[in-house]
Amino acid sequence: MRVFLILLGKELRQFFLSPLAYVVILLFMLINGVSFYASISALTRSTSAHNIVTWMFRTPWFYLSYFAVFPLITMRLLAEERKLGTLETMMTAPVRASQLVLSKYAAAVIFYIVLWLPSLANLYLFQYVTAGAADLPRGPLIGSYGIVLLMGLLYLAMGLFASSLSRNQIVAAILALTLILLHYLVGFVAVHLSSARMLDLSEILNYIASVEHLSLFTSGLVDTRPVVYYISLAAFFLFLTHQVIEFRRWKT
Amino acid sequence: MIEVEHLTKRYPGRTAVDDVSFSVGAGEVVGFLGPNGAGKSTTMKILTSYLPATSGRVTVAGHDVFADSIKARRAIGYMPENVPLYDDFRVKEYLTFRAKLKGLGGRDCRRRVGEVMDLCGLADVRKKMIGTLSKGYRQRVGLADALVHRPQLLILDEPTNGLDPNQIRQVRELIRRLGENHTILLSTHILTEVEATCGRVIIIDHGRIKASDTPEALQQRLRSAGAIEFEAQAGAEEVAAAVRALPQVRRVLCDDLEDGWRRFTVRVDPGADPRAEIAALIGTLGWPLREFVRRQASLEDVFVELTQNQ
Ligand SMILES: Nc1ncnc2c1ncn2[C@@H]1O[C@H](COP(=O)(O)OP(=O)(O)OP(=O)(O)O)[C@@H](O)[C@H]1O
Ligand SMILES: [Mg+2]
Repeated sequence: MRVFLILLGKELRQFFLSPLAYVVILLFMLINGVSFYASISALTRSTSAHNIVTWMFRTPWFYLSYFAVFPLITMRLLAEERKLGTLETMMTAPVRASQLVLSKYAAAVIFYIVLWLPSLANLYLFQYVTAGAADLPRGPLIGSYGIVLLMGLLYLAMGLFASSLSRNQIVAAILALTLILLHYLVGFVAVHLSSARMLDLSEILNYIASVEHLSLFTSGLVDTRPVVYYISLAAFFLFLTHQVIEFRRWKT
Repeated sequence: MIEVEHLTKRYPGRTAVDDVSFSVGAGEVVGFLGPNGAGKSTTMKILTSYLPATSGRVTVAGHDVFADSIKARRAIGYMPENVPLYDDFRVKEYLTFRAKLKGLGGRDCRRRVGEVMDLCGLADVRKKMIGTLSKGYRQRVGLADALVHRPQLLILDEPTNGLDPNQIRQVRELIRRLGENHTILLSTHILTEVEATCGRVIIIDHGRIKASDTPEALQQRLRSAGAIEFEAQAGAEEVAAAVRALPQVRRVLCDDLEDGWRRFTVRVDPGADPRAEIAALIGTLGWPLREFVRRQASLEDVFVELTQNQ
């Protein structure tokens, strides 16, 4: 635990002292703001079955920023240690691979949460300036931020895994994006299958597909199955990452 | 302190370390000497449990480096080849991070970081970003990092690689001082370095140990690599035939010099010293002579002899 905390401190320090972090935060806030604005104007143009929160997670702006953000957060984490050779200084100190992997993951998750805070502030600010006239719906709010966190847990684990495979950050980023998009696109196959009346298969795919989860959770329908699903899949990718780091220690 | 038994490391397609056994006692300063690609770094990576051995057993301070690696790592201060460091840390900050990681805490940590910075001459640059340091200072940061948790054993992979002559001298001086109360295994391909700092040399080539002894004893043993050299004005064939006829002479080599003189190198049997006979021969045949020396084997000769006769 002690070693984990020391490593976490080091990772957070490297996150928040790197210029890239602020570029990411700025970009994310900007796009989030645009997406917020787009959802307000959509709501003012016409009455809608959906509320402000649900709208926010349905604009194309949201997707634009959302998927780009994971590779940017994770690409550096292990690829850079490998490139600099500091993986060697790290793993010849009394540090276990699990402590290294978990501390990097935890730092990425913390950074990701920080990234989302301004958008939450946006919503509360909106409630404040409208003097409570636009009440924030509890269900969609919890559901939306919940699913964003859950998907984040998985995609950050995927990104960390990608970063463990290469010493080149660009390669790690592209690989991460590929993994994430592959996972995400499974949902569109499901939509396609259900329109082609292959309902059984589409049912299964919907279980693993983020598209479905996003639309359910953002309308406030929180389900426990996806919670288990995302967390266990994230754990699986962390396990794979651990194996990659320990790979050099396997007896050949 | 270090026990290595029948250590073998195979990379796909090549054997980097081939059935190597040696041991380093507590308090010894041992130089690991070998040409590029000899397997020095690979051996060190196995000793520090960064890489697993293909076969064989390695214990450090009584702990098996594979089965009990965390305990073994605590006993070792390791400075890898090329000194990998985080460029976006300040010197003091980095050393503090490393000290904490290796188990130091609180006041002790702060004091010890100060100590190693003084010891390695880093006090002036403690607030500097590591990325802006010169090679020599990076090397010192690496050394300070290796020392910071008061390990019994230091493993240093080419500690003076890439330094200017002044810095080399400083680092060697530092190593010599550390050798008074540490066990040190350092690798190098610079011979003078071993002579200057190490009590024992292990010469390794193509993954095998070629010799392990004190620098003096190695020179002694390789006396035979010494030769008698003289410069004379005489026919190459004539001299070669006459000198080779003497007992104990193995080979006579001849170089033409620009000014019409010739330089002859006479290789002799191990332990033999036929200087008197050769001098007498030169005298009776009346060749003009202007130099006559016996060249002692240097550690360099030993090295060349051991690592080139494949
Ligand atoms: N990861 C690797 N994969 C395959 N072969 C390797 C690997 N690392 C080293 N080798 C090979 O193993 C041999 C020993 O390398 P090593 O780095 O131990 O040599 P060295 O004695 O440290 O040389 P130098 O003086 O150049 O540092 C070399 O032939 C090298 O090419
Ligand atoms: Mg080397």
